[in-house]
Amino acid sequence: MSRTAFWDSRRNRIRTRKGGWRIGHGISVHGYSLLGDLVGSHGFFEVLYLEVTGRLPDPRLAQWIEASFLCLAFPDPRIWCNQIGALAGSARIPPTVGISAGVMASESTLYGPGSTRAAHDFLVSAQGALDGGATLPEVIAACTRPGGRVRAPGFSRPIAQGDDRVDALRELGQQLGFTDGSYLRLAAQIDALLCARGDAGINMLGYLAAFLLDHGDMEIEDGERIYALAVNAGVHACYAEANTEPAGAFLPLSCDDVEYRGHAPREIPAEWCS
Amino acid sequence: MERSRDTPFPDRIRTRVWEEVPAQDNHWIATGARCHGYALEDMVQRLSFADSVFLLLRGELPDPSQQQLFSRFLVSFCNPGPRHAATRAVMNAAASGTRTAALPSIGLALLGGEHLGSAEVEQAAAFILAKSAEDPAALATTHAASLASASGPDRRVAPGFGTLHGEVDAFCCSLAEPLLALARSDGPLTWSASFAQALAPYGCGWLQPGLAAACLLELGFAPRATGLLYQFASLPGLIAHAMETAGRGITAMPFVPEERYEYLTPAPSDDA
Repeated sequence: MSRTAFWDSRRNRIRTRKGGWRIGHGISVHGYSLLGDLVGSHGFFEVLYLEVTGRLPDPRLAQWIEASFLCLAFPDPRIWCNQIGALAGSARIPPTVGISAGVMASESTLYGPGSTRAAHDFLVSAQGALDGGATLPEVIAACTRPGGRVRAPGFSRPIAQGDDRVDALRELGQQLGFTDGSYLRLAAQIDALLCARGDAGINMLGYLAAFLLDHGDMEIEDGERIYALAVNAGVHACYAEANTEPAGAFLPLSCDDVEYRGHAPREIPAEWCS
Repeated sequence: MERSRDTPFPDRIRTRVWEEVPAQDNHWIATGARCHGYALEDMVQRLSFADSVFLLLRGELPDPSQQQLFSRFLVSFCNPGPRHAATRAVMNAAASGTRTAALPSIGLALLGGEHLGSAEVEQAAAFILAKSAEDPAALATTHAASLASASGPDRRVAPGFGTLHGEVDAFCCSLAEPLLALARSDGPLTWSASFAQALAPYGCGWLQPGLAAACLLELGFAPRATGLLYQFASLPGLIAHAMETAGRGITAMPFVPEERYEYLTPAPSDDA
């Protein structure tokens, strides 16, 4: 086989397991007819799960995933991604662009769906350590920095201690008949240990990671894909409000609202040559 | 129950980059601006655009050797070319009627990846910085040993180094020459060239993200800045391709025909 055979075989050709549109014949999604099988019979989150993973989920799982999206729908423009939506609305950016910009900001290591991977990896790593004979205090000690701060993704949160969304999602899960598997039990044990020490307890993303490890029936990569737009409703809200107010009216800044801490005024050297 | 952590936040934005001089009678209006202490009106008359970008990001004007190397960097990477995913993205968007204002952000988003994008530039910079005290030939041997187990059509010895479509990227090698002509003998650019050269027996060399990273490290930029500057440098090319395609309609770009669209699951049927 030539060195370029891989590339040659893909020129102007698409091979897909996803499906597609054949004009006059319909739209298929992993073998289902979008209009015949899915529209009117399944919810958006069932179809989203199907589009990403190739499988229709248990409807209860889709309902739980939808609820977890709702838990991220804060219409509060102080939240970083939402503020970008508000600034976009205020700057009269078209909605798709402005809201996309806010969603892009949620690809963060500090909050939002961008940090879900770290929470997942921490739980998997902790479970691996326990399976290898470590104790839970040893696992926590291994992620405690010299200053005493615990670095446990999924178990702290910007601005607030505690996370009411965890209780809401736990309650919904119980109503839907989901029982705690090994990762939810592990997350609860870590939460209890950290809270007993006075450290931050589990946050929504930590709970989300544990729940999906137990019940999601998918790889973490597919989870990241499904949750890519999870903050969008809050961004929509903040965009919408700012967009209906006078242009530039959202959190305007006067010159005095910026604190300059840089170099004092100076002249470009006389001998300077560009 | 949630409770506030009482996180301390500043009540004003802080910056070391830009100072606006407010009008006496209306502090919502600026009468001038200074960049790291230099008045913008002086910069307009005395600095090139490249000098101004360097000043913005480094806080000082470039010395003559930095000035020359930075200019060559900006020209070298001014266009990823129409085959790059970022360029194809803006061309597809432009052809399909996407509003002009959205085109740069679409292109830059697609230029942010770990495969031939700014994330790979940043990773390559971190690699070079971490390894540049080591002997490049020995390091190449160590890293190349892992290639035997590599899967996929292309190989990455390290971020920014490997093969492109099965070969050493000859275009990247030619791009490197004018940059290497300005490199210090003991700097990251020369070290990276030696590493790339040592990979040649294994059929690998450096890729554009690796070259960009090495060049920007040579100029003193931190790894975090390297990916951003790679995106910045490429923006003119993205805009040019978007503008040449905008208004030409959807038939300006290829659309894979049915006979070349292959379903690996059941295709839609008439009764679908």
